[in-house]
Amino acid sequence: MRFPLPAKRRGQVPGHRSRLNARLAGVVLLMLGLSLLSGCASAPRLASPEAMGVPPRVQLEGVPFHAQREYQCGPASLAMVLNASGVDATVDELIPQVFLPHREGSVQPEMLATLRRQGRVPFVLDGRFESLLEELAAGHPVVVMQNLSLPAWPMWHYAVAIGYDLDDRLMTLHSGEEPERLESFRRFDATWARSERWAVVALPPGELPASTGPVRSLQAIADFERAQGPLAALPAWEALTRRWPEAAMGWFALGNARHGGGDPRGAAEAFRRATEADPQLAVAWLNLGLTLEGLDAPERAREAFERAAALPGPWQARAEEALDRR
Amino acid sequence: MMKTVARVLSPLLILCLVLGSLPVAAAPSPATGLISTQEALSQDQVSADRERISEILARQEVQDQLVAQGVDPAEVEARVAALSDAEVRQMADQLEQLPAGASVIGVLFAVFVILLVTDILGLTNAFPFTR
Repeated sequence: MRFPLPAKRRGQVPGHRSRLNARLAGVVLLMLGLSLLSGCASAPRLASPEAMGVPPRVQLEGVPFHAQREYQCGPASLAMVLNASGVDATVDELIPQVFLPHREGSVQPEMLATLRRQGRVPFVLDGRFESLLEELAAGHPVVVMQNLSLPAWPMWHYAVAIGYDLDDRLMTLHSGEEPERLESFRRFDATWARSERWAVVALPPGELPASTGPVRSLQAIADFERAQGPLAALPAWEALTRRWPEAAMGWFALGNARHGGGDPRGAAEAFRRATEADPQLAVAWLNLGLTLEGLDAPERAREAFERAAALPGPWQARAEEALDRR
Repeated sequence: MMKTVARVLSPLLILCLVLGSLPVAAAPSPATGLISTQEALSQDQVSADRERISEILARQEVQDQLVAQGVDPAEVEARVAALSDAEVRQMADQLEQLPAGASVIGVLFAVFVILLVTDILGLTNAFPFTR
């Protein structure tokens, strides 16, 4: 939202009286603008703690505080969540991995990339206030991005949410140079909303966030796997299939990670589970066939290829090709 | 600079990928590579090859951009390698517009006054001393 700059042409208006009028108009405009602003930034409306399933008060212990130096709230925030999750990274190590010297700041994609490089899976939350509370209740500190100023003159800032109090409506954050800073829900949400409520938890492979669904979690782990390889991602896929056994793509991904980690038998089993969860998932039939082929089970491989070839879609040609080459 | 690199690289990449995606008719290959999870998630196989080309170029471009932003060239490759495909595209297309968390603000006096008022109203948090 743009802020109306009042009385900008005041100097051009001749005469004392009209200058006074202009000033009055400016003040009215200012008040109007402010009332509009406060209109868009009301305190977040939350369900009762019972309905949300979170305790009324949470304060995470064991999240060390690192004061930011100059513009380095990004690396400092990363160091805090990484240390809390058992990674021994210092702010000085993280600065060359994430800081952009000429921008004098750090951008969101590189914040996520740095967490991956440190062996943690970054899960971007869905931007609901409730999700933030759920993660804190689950013991996960959350990196949030705020614009501490107005949209016209942004002041982007990363901080780490470490607790909340629903009765007093207060967030607790390690922020800037201040550990355990208390911010009212209203002020926090107003500044957080300006980043479209960007929030991230960083978890070791094998742990899943409390608030994200299967699709969001799947994408986060796939991005981690791309950077760190299938062996590193294996525990994450196992956790995903335990939590959402009905998600066929989770089994499919587990199959690929097992195959990449040198376990074709385990891979075939996972692909089979994927086809059970969703018999229409052609790519799972295709990979099942390819894996069985490698395991010297040509008959079962043929069956799988036939199932894949019968399903219209992008993988049909590959399946027919596999059948032809036999 | 990027343009020339792109002009030289693109045809080569296209050639490599086309050759790579041709079915090997002469020699029946043993168990071929599986379809990767990332590939399956990106769904549309028709555009996947084209995307791979643009992604390789985008990664190169982001590396150049990071060097231009003052990042140590020795660090650049590892930084870009840890980005997801979507993040690389985002960085290549709009690095300048991406908000960079830094918590500093360069403002005029008039803006200072406005922010002071909004701080007091609890809408912003530009000056820690207002609480």
